[in-house]
Amino acid sequence: MHELSLATDVINLATEQAKKNGLVVITELRIEVGDLSGVEADAFQWALELLINDTMLNHADIYLIRSPGTGICQACHREFEMKNRLESCPNCASFPSEIRGGQEFRLLSIAGE
Amino acid sequence: MCETCGCGKPGEFTIRESSETAKRRNSENDHNHHEHMHEHDGHWHSHGQEESSEIKSDHHHGHEHGHDEHPHSHGDEANGHSHPQKKEIALNIDILSENNRLAERNRGYFEGKEVLCLNMMSSPGSGKTSILEKTILALRQTHKIFVIEGDQQTARDAERIEKSGAPAIQINTGSGCHLDANMIHLALKKLEVENRSILFIENVGNLVCPALFDLGETRRVVVISVTEGDDKPLKYPYMFQTSHLCIINKTDLLPYVDFSVENAMANAKQLNPELEFILMSARTGEGMQEWYEWLSKIS
Repeated sequence: MHELSLATDVINLATEQAKKNGLVVITELRIEVGDLSGVEADAFQWALELLINDTMLNHADIYLIRSPGTGICQACHREFEMKNRLESCPNCASFPSEIRGGQEFRLLSIAGE
Repeated sequence: MCETCGCGKPGEFTIRESSETAKRRNSENDHNHHEHMHEHDGHWHSHGQEESSEIKSDHHHGHEHGHDEHPHSHGDEANGHSHPQKKEIALNIDILSENNRLAERNRGYFEGKEVLCLNMMSSPGSGKTSILEKTILALRQTHKIFVIEGDQQTARDAERIEKSGAPAIQINTGSGCHLDANMIHLALKKLEVENRSILFIENVGNLVCPALFDLGETRRVVVISVTEGDDKPLKYPYMFQTSHLCIINKTDLLPYVDFSVENAMANAKQLNPELEFILMSARTGEGMQEWYEWLSKIS
């Protein structure tokens, strides 16, 4: 359930940036959520929808942009898509692999008026 | 903390000394702004991850993120509504960066004071508080020990710890499921940790969320008990991947449960080959000596 507090952080961050840039309302919010970021996208989205009432984001369209997990096998050095942290190399079946992508959790952009 | 409307939830938390009656921070603001969650006017909506990077909405302006920080307008005629001065602001900010920044500040504070800080994490009921009680009783003559206790409610754990002889402070996270760097930062202001001491942070009992939040600790310790499944590491990989030591507690109960120490260690090692293990029974004292040696090795 850390998604609730992360959603609060995102709303604060977006509000702060909006004010800095002279926006009165935020109409659009884009967030990148990596498959291996430890953030459950559905729960995070639910939390955001719950918390944006009475904020500048009340009418914002929320876009969660998924970034797939990728790993580099430490044995055969091939890159592959990792759906979870326990995935072994599809090529040589060794484990663990170095996680390269999918750990992102970033506020990409906001738009507003 | 929710700075938007001043409401405490869900970032609301309370820091209190165990001996005191509960004082809730921001109690006058303790209202709930989630009650009217469905009272929106039907205009806003969100888009799920399944839409991936494709924009699909009646606000579609036909471009992707990553554009420059400049105001520009969009084809209003296509949407049937207008955004007179719509601005798009590219940010690309790591959402956890604020926590990480505060964690680094805490880490600097610990290094400067030569404090060994251990973030103790586990499921509820695996025996973290008992391990700490025994540790304090054994080491209090030779070491200065301080404890930060995290729980959703009550000061019971901090009271237990203080009885063992170490100053403790309780953080009640309210609805929160983990401690974060800011809570530690604020608790440190009250706890007045001495130089060259050991600070134990007993995180909220939860194997998921605490793993994500760096507190500035020197080392992370995950505790599991033999009354849990030996596949715990596989179920909560993030926790085991980010820990330095795994204590397997309640080994005195091994004859009565199906827990395989070998399987649990193999599962955890698979995720984190560097992970160290101590088999322990805080009740009988097994493994405690090894634990004290581990503490002196890393301090």
